[in-house]
Amino acid sequence: MNSMPMTADKVRIDIRNLSFYYGATKALKNVSLPLYDRKVTAFIGPSGCGKSTLLRVLNRIYELYPNQRAEGEVFLDGENILTSKQDLNLLRARIGMVFQKPTPFPMTIYDNIAYGIKLYERMRKSELDDRVEDALQRAALWNEVKDKLRESGLSLSGGQQQRLCIARTVATKPEVILLDEPCSALDPISTAKIEELIDELANEYTIVIVTHNMQQASRVSDNTAFMFLGELIEFGTTEKLFTAPQNKRTEEYITGRFG
Amino acid sequence: MNRALYARRRIRNTVFLTLSVAAAVFGIAWLALILYSLIAQGIQALSSHIFTEMTPAQGSTGGGLINAIAGSLIMSALAVVVGTPIGIFGGTYLAEYGRHSRLSVIVRFINDILLSAPSILIGLFIYQIAVAPMHGFSAWAGMLALAVIVIPVVVRTTENMLHLVPNTLREASAALGSPRNHVIRTVTWRAARAGMITGVLLAVARISGETAPLLFTALGNNGWSSNTLALGKNLSINYPAMNSPMASLPLVIFNFASSADDNQHRLAWTGALIITFAVLTLSIVARIFGSEKEW
Amino acid sequence: MVSTDLSEPFSAANRADALRRFSAGDRRFRWLTQFAAFLVVVIFAGIIVTLFIGAMPAIKAFGLDFLATSTWNPVTEKFGAFPLIYGTLVTSALAMIVAVPVGIGIAIFLTELCPRQLKRPIGIAVELLAGIPSIIYGIWGFFVFAPFFQMTVEPWLIGFFANVPILQDLFAGPPYGIGIFTAALILSIMILPFISSITHEVFATVPPILKEAAYGLGCTTWEVMWRIVLPYSRAGVVGAAMLALGRALGETMAVTFVVGNAHHINLSLLAPGTTISATIANEFTEALGALYIPALIYAGLILFFITFLVLAAAQLMLYGLDRRSGGGSK
Repeated sequence: MNSMPMTADKVRIDIRNLSFYYGATKALKNVSLPLYDRKVTAFIGPSGCGKSTLLRVLNRIYELYPNQRAEGEVFLDGENILTSKQDLNLLRARIGMVFQKPTPFPMTIYDNIAYGIKLYERMRKSELDDRVEDALQRAALWNEVKDKLRESGLSLSGGQQQRLCIARTVATKPEVILLDEPCSALDPISTAKIEELIDELANEYTIVIVTHNMQQASRVSDNTAFMFLGELIEFGTTEKLFTAPQNKRTEEYITGRFG
Repeated sequence: MNRALYARRRIRNTVFLTLSVAAAVFGIAWLALILYSLIAQGIQALSSHIFTEMTPAQGSTGGGLINAIAGSLIMSALAVVVGTPIGIFGGTYLAEYGRHSRLSVIVRFINDILLSAPSILIGLFIYQIAVAPMHGFSAWAGMLALAVIVIPVVVRTTENMLHLVPNTLREASAALGSPRNHVIRTVTWRAARAGMITGVLLAVARISGETAPLLFTALGNNGWSSNTLALGKNLSINYPAMNSPMASLPLVIFNFASSADDNQHRLAWTGALIITFAVLTLSIVARIFGSEKEW
Repeated sequence: MVSTDLSEPFSAANRADALRRFSAGDRRFRWLTQFAAFLVVVIFAGIIVTLFIGAMPAIKAFGLDFLATSTWNPVTEKFGAFPLIYGTLVTSALAMIVAVPVGIGIAIFLTELCPRQLKRPIGIAVELLAGIPSIIYGIWGFFVFAPFFQMTVEPWLIGFFANVPILQDLFAGPPYGIGIFTAALILSIMILPFISSITHEVFATVPPILKEAAYGLGCTTWEVMWRIVLPYSRAGVVGAAMLALGRALGETMAVTFVVGNAHHINLSLLAPGTTISATIANEFTEALGALYIPALIYAGLILFFITFLVLAAAQLMLYGLDRRSGGGSK
């Protein structure tokens, strides 16, 4: 059963009875859970449990591929984003995503950050410069790249590239940031830097992070959802879920009896 | 172990492997022979006259190839200008929008057939639509025929290069709220840029040597047709007449080699040398370009 | 004025405006790409249609007899394409008989035998051969190869097979130098690099573990190639061969100079003949009379169908290979 976090918190995204299909295969089975405003929610579970699938429903990135569809409702600030009336580009400007593998665009560092900004805003060069700097500051990358903004995004190390992607996402002023196993391709030092970053970002954005690393989940998140075979098994505050899980499955996963 | 059986196997191995080596030597030998002839014969008439004088009539001496070279350059350049955008957009459709659609399967199939189709038939096609109705051969027609050859090459290379761009790059830009066409134009094309340019270079190399499609479209010209554009009282410029027949290097080689004139034969070899040199250089440049990481 | 302060939320209205700009452009762009793709189909259909229309007078006049008769008389306007079809098929078939084994041999050499340092240069050399325009082969064949052939090889062939039944007719004199056989050889040199480079690529798709397993059992290099690699890549090699055949059938310039341009069929391979493309290339611009050009176009139509069949079959073989090796680019 679910142990609910403090209901005084505002719900940013409300997932109701969500099911997801890859062709004929049902990958998510009737998932319902709330994502709280400016809190970090982690999705954990063994491989194939549906946590990434669930994340990818939130910005409807799955629409890029045929044969993938979602049923149910996902409310962002009260409006269902799964309807066909929802403009996808608008949605993705509000809900940003950082991927598992760092994906700098084939352009300069400056242009990488400016890319998302220029999509929706017109501004003078000096304003754009400020926005780019601001975004890089928030991603804790400014000091490392301020002298090489005109170099290719690919010239950075893995950890820096991932922070570049975070800066790029943050630059568009989203409300929610989705992180799909953002550290799995990075070394421990870069991972630590990014976890610090997540902590700071949580002051302003609603964060959802998928991770297969339980320790990471317990370090960075306020609330955790445990999934298994496409179902939401348990959801609660991270502290409660990890110290006193209510569901047997959850306990087995956390203690490493399977996974 | 059966000694005799093993011995037989070893002999068979040696025999066939030697044959393979012989095959490789055979192949390289022909290349060497052809290049040798090209250079030995082509050098004979190679001089600055080539680039200053027009093609000579039968029975005369001297002359050059300038009108043919210019004609080839103009028609090839225009063919690339016309064919490349169509090729890139078509390849983009196949790789981005229509990856799994029915139309794509058909287009790909037809495109690959056009790629290897006899170029003389393309000449016939353009003759039917651009020469016969106009009652005249023209450089436009020649250019169109070459463009029809450029298009499938560029479609194929564009599609292949776009397929190599990892999906995560597309997802990352879509995740920022970028609409599909913006993703393609600003990220995907950019990532595949080097490969696509290589494709265009290869197309140019291919059409530089094509003769058959020009035989009854551009026809060939012993001199140079130009039109005059009056810009003012005493000012006018000459520009190449695209609606008249135009000379081109492969055509000149074809005509001169079939004639009985020694002078023309020599020029034909020189023309052949120039074309081969240009084509090989383009191919090598395309290779180098394609293997460099651009961004 | 847009706020540069990231901590200020971005209002939805601004975004919606920007988006409206985008969606019209999106539809237009997509339509443009679809149009270009469709254009490819249109061109193809256009070729078929115009060839039909152009050939119609000849089709009406001669019907299917065109494919079986040999007269070619522009004066009386009686045309028959049998020698053309014969020449096209025979030169291509002979070219394949030479080029396929040699091409595969080169591919085997490049894959297994070539010393590491030589692999790239030789591979590149072979590909450059493929890039040489066909007219070069044509004039080289005419000025260098054919005379040489006439002086040395053909007399030898005629003498060698002089008393062998059947073969003596295939290789009967006089030694012209130019002819079906010469054209076939030039053609084979032309399609050789094509076969070898595709076959080489196809060989590279064989999983190394498969070869290692065979070597591990004690197979000789040849046995690995012949028993494992070739069967595994069979579809690809056949596809490559058929693509080469498609090109050979339609080849004009390499053949026109050396085939002899004779509108009759001779049992001897050393005699001159003609092919569809050579005839069109040589005669089109001089053709006068109501049926001459249509007859040539009719021949072109036949060539189109022959090459279409071969190229389509090649596609199917190569698509099969692509799916097998894990999808690749299709």
